[in-house]
Amino acid sequence: MTLTAPGRDRDRGRAPGGRPPSRYPSGRRLLLSTDHKRIGLLVLGTSLALLFLLGVLALLMRAQLARPESGFLDSAVYNQFFTIHGSGMIYLVMTPFAIGLGVYLVPLQVGAPNIALPRTTLLGYWLYATGAVIMLAGFATPHGAHAAGWFSYPPLADGRYSPGPGSDMWVAGVFLSTAGVILMGWAVLWTALRKRAEGMTMLRMPLFSWSMVATCLMVIGAFPALLAALVLLGIGRADPSVFDSNLWIIGYQHLFWFYGHPVVYVMFFPYLAAVGEVLATFARRPFFGFRLTVLSLLVFAGLSMSVWGHHMFTTGQATNDYYSLTSIALLVPAGIEYFAMLGTILGGALVFRPPMLFALAFIPQFLIGGLTGIMVGTPVIDYQAHDSYFVVAHLHYVLFAGSAFGLFAAFYFWFPKVTGAMLDDRLSHVHFWLLVAGTNLTFLPMFFLGLQGMSRRIVSYAEFDGFGTLNLLASIGAGLLAVAMLVFVYNVWTSLRWPRPAGDDPWQGQTLEWATSSPPPRLNYTPEHPLPPITSYAPLYDLRRTEDGRAH
Amino acid sequence: MHRRSVFDQVFAVETAIALAVFVIVLGLLVFAVVRRRARAGLFVSRRREWKPVELCYAGALAAVAAGLVIYTALANREQGRENDRPVDLRVEVSAFQWCWEFAHPDPAGGPEDEPVTARATCRGDDLPTLVVPTGRNIRLELDSRDVIHSFWVPELRYKLDAFPGHRNEFTVRFDREGRWIGHCAEFCGHRHHTMDFWVRAVSPEEYDAWLLDAQTGQDIPAETA
Repeated sequence: MTLTAPGRDRDRGRAPGGRPPSRYPSGRRLLLSTDHKRIGLLVLGTSLALLFLLGVLALLMRAQLARPESGFLDSAVYNQFFTIHGSGMIYLVMTPFAIGLGVYLVPLQVGAPNIALPRTTLLGYWLYATGAVIMLAGFATPHGAHAAGWFSYPPLADGRYSPGPGSDMWVAGVFLSTAGVILMGWAVLWTALRKRAEGMTMLRMPLFSWSMVATCLMVIGAFPALLAALVLLGIGRADPSVFDSNLWIIGYQHLFWFYGHPVVYVMFFPYLAAVGEVLATFARRPFFGFRLTVLSLLVFAGLSMSVWGHHMFTTGQATNDYYSLTSIALLVPAGIEYFAMLGTILGGALVFRPPMLFALAFIPQFLIGGLTGIMVGTPVIDYQAHDSYFVVAHLHYVLFAGSAFGLFAAFYFWFPKVTGAMLDDRLSHVHFWLLVAGTNLTFLPMFFLGLQGMSRRIVSYAEFDGFGTLNLLASIGAGLLAVAMLVFVYNVWTSLRWPRPAGDDPWQGQTLEWATSSPPPRLNYTPEHPLPPITSYAPLYDLRRTEDGRAH
Repeated sequence: MHRRSVFDQVFAVETAIALAVFVIVLGLLVFAVVRRRARAGLFVSRRREWKPVELCYAGALAAVAAGLVIYTALANREQGRENDRPVDLRVEVSAFQWCWEFAHPDPAGGPEDEPVTARATCRGDDLPTLVVPTGRNIRLELDSRDVIHSFWVPELRYKLDAFPGHRNEFTVRFDREGRWIGHCAEFCGHRHHTMDFWVRAVSPEEYDAWLLDAQTGQDIPAETA
């Protein structure tokens, strides 16, 4: 009998005098690596998979709402579906995807070999993934999943009115995944602040990295309020008498929305900035109005923590005029960002590649979300629009017609960098046009439904309500969205199965990540792919110009 | 219905502003897509900022925001003035999972009288009706027996939440007779979608007659009035 010291075995595969080909088998390498690119891919992949799963819930809900008094889904099932669709899309898809983009891209964009706090980032991913599993596993419990909406106001969400382990698991799942996102937010922020390459001053950081600074400031500043709200809800689930007092009922709303409004901006800053990078790249010029845009992002982030009460105009317990003031003030930074985006394309030479299409569509569609946001930020209008389909339409214009289009612009833009393969242009165009048609057909009618008096979160409506036609249109639009997403999946699958090499820089990118290989090597920049001189927020653009200058 | 006219005005103003902004942005976007397509000889700007223009623009935005804040705050105040009118009669609105009760506490003005209460089940067509006289200031006192609900009459363009352990109230005057549907707007559980009610505005004489009838019968089924 021989005893082998642990760790010895590892040396067996080692070539004499050389390094082992890899420390772990590939699965473990992906799941446990502290390389920011692998962690980033885990976050992005997990949230994209969940986007599809939760999108299916939305499709089933649209099927139910297509006709009045439909019996396709039972009320108990429908309530679980809208709760998990809404809370999943916010806690598990749009927020983590935004942070995941930062985990992948910020170290590359600031010229760092890895993220700051890599193991904390990995822990953050696992907390997020565990939370997602726990939240969704609620469907397997006897009472089903949680069914009190994504903001889960007590007393409805307490132990008395929402008994059952599904709701407990929802609280635990949201807590864990949000804690994970906070950890990742710290790591991304610290990378941008402390890990920048030589020559990369703060104002030479690209727009996307700057948006992540503003985003992560909101994550670390506002997300702990959600953890506090969840603790309060958890206590109320164990002992519902806590919510016999109005103080804690309304207190929960304050805690929740202190998180609940900044999170909306966490779910659009990175996508808006990705759109900005795409617009500049495909307009063949540096982003216009860079410094004021950066400033406006920071102002935006600051204001985001002063507007929460506009979700509570109808409670009769908020200072409506104050919250309306801060909410309407948001149009100043938002207007500056639009000025910069439009200025960039108006002076550029536009090239209509797939990322650019999504970025261009983002501009008017997100604007609809923003303009209707000013409307619901006006108390007089909100008294009618609040908790109606007007709000459903508004938030989907922000998060789907806006942020998700930014998400796809980012996906199409950085896919060649991340995988080394190009996506198919023709399929990308099909995806784009189906998505534009489906988005507007689904969500535009909802504004009118809301004004006509359709409450949100109702499983069915009566024939005489007269909501039938517009709901049918919305459901047809949802069908188009489903087809669009299938085209997207097919495109990604065939492009990975039969890859067409992308090269290092297929788009004439302007930021550092386009100087390294696709996909980037373990430490991002190597002697074969060195960091170019960092001259501004668009160093590769500067480099091309000096090279052009020499050539002439 | 004062609230409704204020809403209509503010909504029209903000919709007009929103449409104008949208048309301008869309116009610039279409212009860029059509006229700025990359081609040989197209002048491409290398400008990274244009500070005076950007700052003037930011100032203009701030002025618009300030104007909008003042305008909407004044509208909010104007709408709220309805609450300051002398109250002619009170109705206690009780919300619960999953229906409403409307109690008229002092039908003849005397405290010794039992309140007249409209009840229903909110199942099928059995909806409770809030009967009110036109031309009088009616104080609605909202309360909930369990979770948060929200009293919404889309035709009034107004809603207010009903909390357990906290009373919300507002005053409303109906200018014309009619019957309108109301909903619960705050999600409140399993039968949230059936938690509808009717509001019926009748002439003061009709209202008094209805009250007298109701007092003899006490509980009023859904559609007696």
